[in-house]
Order: sequence, then C-alpha cells, then structure tokens
Amino acid sequence: MINLEKIRDIAKNTVSRDDIKYLIGWRQGTYGFRVSPHFVRKPEEAEELIFSPLCSNNLATYLTLAEKRPVPRGQQPDTRKVAVMVKGCDSRAVVQQLVEQGIERESVYIIGCPCEGVVDQSKLEEKYPGTFGQVEARWENGKISLCFPEGKTEVVGEELLTQKCLTCRYPNPVLADINLREEVAARGNESFADVAELEKKSTKDKWSFWQDKFSSCIRCYSCRNVCPMCYCQECILDKLNPTWVNRSVNISENTAYHLARAFHLAGRCIECGECERVCPVNIPITKLNRKLTKEVTEKFGFEPGVDVEAKPPLVGYRPDDKENFIL
Amino acid sequence: MKINKDKLADFIAAISEQTVYAPQKRGEALVFAPVAKGSNVNLAAANTTIPPKSVVFPQTETLLRFELGKTDLEAPVQEGKAVMLGVRPCDARAMVIVDNVFSWDVDDPYYLQKRADLTLVGLACLEPCVNCFCSSVGGGPASKEGLDVLMTDLGDGYLLEVLTEKGQTLCQSAEGLLEESVKEDKDAAEKLHAAAVNKITRQAPDTGPIPAGLPRLWEDPLWAEVSESCLGCGICTYLCPTCHCFDIQDESEGCDSRRCRTWDSCMFPEYTLHASGHNPRPTRRERTRNRINHKYSYFVDKFNVIACVGCGRCINLCPVNIDILNILSKVGEAL
Amino acid sequence: MNTNPYKPYIATVEDTWFETLGDRCIKTFKVVLDDEELRYNWSHLPGQCAIIGVLGIGESMISISCSPTEGKFLRFSVMRTGKVTKALHELEKGDKMTVRGPYGNNFPVDEWKGKNIITIGGGIGQAPLRPIIEYVKANRDDYGSLNIIYGARTSADLCFKREFEDMGSSGDVSCNLSIDIKEEEWPHYVGFVPSLLMDVNPSPENAIAITCGPPVMINFVLQNLKKLNFADKQIYTTLENRMKCGFGKCGRCNAGNLYVCKDGPVFCYETLKSVPEAFA
Repeated sequence: MINLEKIRDIAKNTVSRDDIKYLIGWRQGTYGFRVSPHFVRKPEEAEELIFSPLCSNNLATYLTLAEKRPVPRGQQPDTRKVAVMVKGCDSRAVVQQLVEQGIERESVYIIGCPCEGVVDQSKLEEKYPGTFGQVEARWENGKISLCFPEGKTEVVGEELLTQKCLTCRYPNPVLADINLREEVAARGNESFADVAELEKKSTKDKWSFWQDKFSSCIRCYSCRNVCPMCYCQECILDKLNPTWVNRSVNISENTAYHLARAFHLAGRCIECGECERVCPVNIPITKLNRKLTKEVTEKFGFEPGVDVEAKPPLVGYRPDDKENFIL
Repeated sequence: MKINKDKLADFIAAISEQTVYAPQKRGEALVFAPVAKGSNVNLAAANTTIPPKSVVFPQTETLLRFELGKTDLEAPVQEGKAVMLGVRPCDARAMVIVDNVFSWDVDDPYYLQKRADLTLVGLACLEPCVNCFCSSVGGGPASKEGLDVLMTDLGDGYLLEVLTEKGQTLCQSAEGLLEESVKEDKDAAEKLHAAAVNKITRQAPDTGPIPAGLPRLWEDPLWAEVSESCLGCGICTYLCPTCHCFDIQDESEGCDSRRCRTWDSCMFPEYTLHASGHNPRPTRRERTRNRINHKYSYFVDKFNVIACVGCGRCINLCPVNIDILNILSKVGEAL
Repeated sequence: MNTNPYKPYIATVEDTWFETLGDRCIKTFKVVLDDEELRYNWSHLPGQCAIIGVLGIGESMISISCSPTEGKFLRFSVMRTGKVTKALHELEKGDKMTVRGPYGNNFPVDEWKGKNIITIGGGIGQAPLRPIIEYVKANRDDYGSLNIIYGARTSADLCFKREFEDMGSSGDVSCNLSIDIKEEEWPHYVGFVPSLLMDVNPSPENAIAITCGPPVMINFVLQNLKKLNFADKQIYTTLENRMKCGFGKCGRCNAGNLYVCKDGPVFCYETLKSVPEAFA
C-alpha cells in the first residue's frame, strides 16, 4: 500500500538535509491522467508529491540533463546531492549511469519506489476520452483504481499497463539509499517473445514495417532527450562538423538516426520504455532496442543497470569473450 | 450549400485536378497527406498530430540545387494548385499568422507560392478537445479566418459556407454534387457552433496585459521553475502551427548538392550557438523564456497578433506535461 | 535583382590576404560580383552585412568591411572559427564565393554629419568599424574629427595593420593602438581597450562613439563612455548572433524583440539598454 503521507514525510526530511540540493519526484499533472516531474527544494513543496500507477516518467534522466553552469569567481561549486525518486526500471538507469561514470555515487541520493506497474496513458485516454479533470490513481489488490474528479471510481486491470510492465523483472529498485515501501513481487520473465515475432518476418517485411514507422518520424529528438542513457554533451547524430546524419528529414536520414541511436544504446538500454512513451508519432522504438538487448544478453550474458560494479561488455575486454559471431 | 456525406468521395474526385490534402494516417500519426485512390481520409478525428503548416512549409524543403564545383543554381519553387480538406479553424488562423513572417519586407517565394496555390476548406470543431483554448486567444471552433470554405458536420451531410472567391471556384468544380442549403441547415450549424464554444473547458488568462507586461518579468524565477523539467526536445515547436523557425544546411551526395531548409527549434541549444562557443541562451531557462516571450510579446510588437492559436498540441504532446496555460497563468499572476 | 532572396549571387575573389595568423586567424577577401549589372547596382552603407558562403558547405553573416566609397568591390574579414569560415579560408584568388545581401541596417552616417567620430574596436571588431573610417575619410569635410581607438591581444592580432601604418596620426585623424601584453618594439599603449579609451579621453561634445568587439570589452567600454559623460544616444554598437536567412524569417537571431539581421546589426545604446538579451 502506498502511504502518501509517509512518502511526503520522507521527502520533507530529505530536502531538509544540509547535503541535499533538491529532490526530483512526481506530482499530479495539469489535466486528466497526466503527471509531471516535480523539483522540491523546500519541505512545503513536498506536499504535492505523489507515487501512483500514473508515474511513468523516468526521473533519472534529470541527473544528467541539468546544465552545469560555470561557477562564478570566488564561489565554491555546489557539491550537494540530488535526491531522485526512482521505480525499479528507473533505478537501473541510475546504476548504469554510475557504471559508466556519467554521474558520481556521492552526487545522488536514491529514493527507491517499488512499483506494481504503470499505466499506458494512451490506452487510458482511449478508454476514457476527453478526461479533463485531474485523475488520481492507486494500486489496489493487484488492480488499479482510478478516482475521477466527479467522485466516480473505476477499477482497471493489467490490460491497461504499459507493455514493459507486463514482463518486468525489476519492480524493486536495484540500488537505493532508502525505500518508500516494502518490496513487490516481480511480474514477468524475460523471453524476448516480442522480439522473436519481428525476427520471424522476412527482410522485406521487416523493412516495410520500419519504413512505415520511420517515415513518420519528425526528428524531434524527444526519444533521445528523455533517454537517461543519452547524455553526450554533443550528440553525434546532431553534429555538423563533420555531418554524420543530415538534418533533412526523410526515410534515409531517419533510419540512420534510429539505427545509430539503437546501436549506441546496445548493452546500455535499461528498457524503461520512455522513448516510446514520448514519441509524438508513436514509433515502436523499444522494438529496436530490445532486439539489441536480446543480442547482448545472448552473446555476453550481460544485463545493464543491475550491478553497480559491473564492467560493460562493449567497453571492456575479457579473454573469455565469446567471439563466435566475428570469427 | 450542402453536401451529403456519401458524396464526399465523389467530391474529392471532382476537385482532384488539384492535389487534395486531407487528414490521413502516416505510420501511427494523423497528418495532412495527398489523397490517392484508396486513401483513408479521416475527418472525424479531433486534429492531426502534425499541423497543416507541413504542406506550405514542409519539414524539409530544397531551396537550391547545384553541383559541387560549379556555380549554376536551380531554385525549385514548387507550384501547383492544391486544396486542403478538413483544416481546423485554429490551424487556418495559424497560417494567416505565419503569413506575416514569410511576407515581412522580403517575400519568401517557396512559402508564398504554395499559399497562393492553396484553397483551404475548413471543418468546424463541434467537439473541442480537453486542451483546446482557441476562444481565449482570438479564435473559435468555427472561426472563418484564413478559410475559403467552412464545413460544418450536420450529421448526414456537411454545410458548406463559401467565404472567398477561391472557395467559390472550388465549389463550382463540384457543382453537381452540391445541394442548396436551407435556413434550417444554417440555423443548425449556428447552434452547433455556439454549443462548441461552451464545450471549451480551458481558458488562457486575460491575454490583454501579457504582451506589454512580459518584458518586466525577464528575471522572474518562474522561468527556471517551468523549464526545469523540460527535455529540450522539439515537440512543442515542431507541432505548433504558428512556429516557423528553420535551419539552412547544405547537403551533398557525390557531386549532387542542395541547400535545403529544415524545421528548427528554439528549444535546441544549438539554435543560438555562436561559432566561438558562446551561447546567449545557454540553458533551458533562457530558451523557455524566449519561446514564451516570442509568441506572446515580440510577435505582437511586430505583427500585432499573438503567435498562438490555442490548438493545444503542445499541451497534449509535451512528454513532461509542461503546460503553456500553466505558464500563462503564472505570468498573469506575476504581472 | 533577385526575386528569390535565398538565391545568392556569385562573386570572384579578386585578392585575399591574412590579417592575423594562428588558430583563429583572420583572412580578408576582396571580392567582385560576377554579374556586371549587379556589381554596379550594388549599394550598401557602413554597418551593413552580407551572407557569404561556399556552395556545398554553407553560409555565414559577415559584416561588409569596406565603404561604398572605395569602389565596386566588397571586402570581408573572416575569422576562422567553424565549418563555413574554415571553407571560406580555403578560397584563394580566382575562387568563387556566394554573396547575399546587403542585409541589416546601417550606421546613420547622414545623421552624424558635422560630428566628431570616435571608433573603439577590439580584435575582429574593427571589421565593421573600418567602413565608417573609410566613409568619413572619403567625405572628410562632412565630419568633424576622426578618432580611432583600436586594440588587440598582441600586435600579431591587430587587423588592417598596413592601413594603420599608412594612416598614422595627422591633423584631426587620431589613430590610437594598443595591445594587452607588453612586447618589445611596441611603441604604443599597452593595456586593454577600455583603459586606452580613458587614456585618450575623448570629449563627448558633439561626438558619436561606435564600439565593436568581444562582449567583455564592450561592457567595460560602455561603462567608461558613461564615465566620460557620453549620453546613451551618442553611443552605437553592433550585435551579432547566429544567423541563417539574414532577413527575418528563420527566427533565430533575435535579442529580445529585436532581430539582429533586420532591426540591427547597428544599434544605438539607447535602444539596447532596455533589452537584457542584447548583453547575453
């Protein structure tokens, strides 16, 4: 059971600590089923924090998104920690960022939020179109209870969860300084069934599938920007000097963009599914990433974002690396 | 005039000497695309994801063609009569707003030629969406601004109000399919329009004091607040019907080269990056502040109109729920 | 004339030489428009800019650093900083360059008639000031005294060295150079441009001061001009920003509600002081 008061208390205490700069959590959005990231600096601001099946946002991305401004002369850099509320999948992003040394352990205070699954907002909006007033949601006895502002309550089941949640093996944060509630049971088992489905198609059919999707891409870069693992200061797919992928938006450049990004995430993607959630034209981006995840799992037996001491396979060399795919 | 719904396909066929653009699925998104045989035109959906600006201001457009090493330049300005069917009044207003920019002082032939060739057949909104606020920024669900014809869905048919000469010419080419409308039809349409206005649930605060007042809020903490969760992607700008910023790049394949323009976004850091490395808008705070100031203040200074039509796309599709109405209400409070 | 504003003119590099060397070297190009009619109909005033480029690479907005009184050619002084300027630097005599323009507003040289002109430049900032100097020299009787204040980091970083040597100081044309760090055989002032300005101590009486250079220098020069009792409307500067179209459509060059390509690049300090983004 989620005890909102307890969560808000923990947040208030965290934010009152001397060594915490601010806390990143979730709060109710401005309409319907929306939720928005909430940056808490003062204890009273913690009153708005929530943790519910609507909290899809992976807040770990803000650990690397916040701009580092030059320190004014005479001032010391602010080395206080950033506290971040993370679900199971989100925590894998933090761990992978630590493994890659994109952030330092002392710079983050991880507040673990064991999660029973988040809903797919587009499915919700399809089921309850035109919902204007803000809706609250709760996990209740394995189902999700939606409280509409008019007082109506609806209970929905698994069918409204995001795809990734149905096969989730890490509902509990893999690394945390404090946990908000007791652990929850994992829901699924990894079989890469969805990947196998696409693999079965002929090359012609696969290309036809992806051509249809990539043609509608508008290169808004939302998938890249929301991704907690995409934190290069200058993205090579944006670079102009030299230009690797042209700015023009067409099937050729779009394909190059998506495939290159997928490869840059191979062995690093922690499958939070945010890329797919944010895409305004609904490209099934995770299908690409999961194909590569399957490859890395099978070839290297490696899973990113679970062990903070791990050495990523594509960055390191081991004498016993299985190289049967290149020799 | 009126047309029965079952005659719509014939109507499209009758006007097909011109390219007809209508809302259709491309991938999983609804966009304005050319109608071909067997196209699935969707006039029932609320609004397209990609605004119709994509027809007159394509995301990628070739400005010049040339061969590397040579100096002969081809400037392919696209010509050809076209009709856009099913444009929502907000998007049509947006085109009129953007026209200001592309004809300011210097004429942009690429955009203006397409605009001149285009006839806009609008579709009144009878079921405004949750985040529509057209009525608080000078528009409305049945606004006629920028349209050549306005269609209203009466149930079994559409009422067609001809608004301009272009609209008249268009309807004449499909004469046989159209019936005369009667007073009841017009009354019914008016009732539906009025009902639609009442269905709009969200309002912007009084925009009167905002254009002149925004510069006073330059150093207000609200900008850092509202931009902290921003991902810096291009969704709000690319999907905004009044946003018109673009990048110009030269691209070559072998010796074939072209200079093209592509949509650009003021939310990208590179947008204002100097070659020296200096960036006058280094963080999302400055860029968000600039975006709101541009739409609600600078544009008003230059062209006397707010560069926002209340279509709600930015609110619907912002992945982190940055809500422009929320920002405007903070601005309203601070002023 | 072009009815398509995106279609550039083609120009040939008549002469080119380096002003400064090193990593961010500055190269000057003297170019002539290929089309004769265009060449003779081209008209610009000091302060205006043009977008020059190399087909296949791109374009950059560069100030026209010659006065129309000098002849039917155009001069650009380009610092090598990025992709396009690197390609421009590879151009030699006889090579082709694309030119679009003239863009922007100009220094109000007509309004300044009868006044004493003081130019205060730093580094490459002297490039947009040079046309004022040449214009005033060509119309000498229309103006009062001409006071040139110009400095760079080292003597090697000074632009237009030959021209300054020829100019020297005579009568009411005063030429004051400085470098930041002491050098052997440097006979002139050593120090930053803002302090050279205080040293020269020009009178604000009937004067116009135009300054151009790195933002940090401009800030201090503005402070010092106020100390010397210059009124806001006597001070002019040019702004620069990333540009693409050059004529107010692509949206990116604005500083506040001012488009640098159309409302600028020339601005009076009176206008700028209420635009915080101008000093970002």
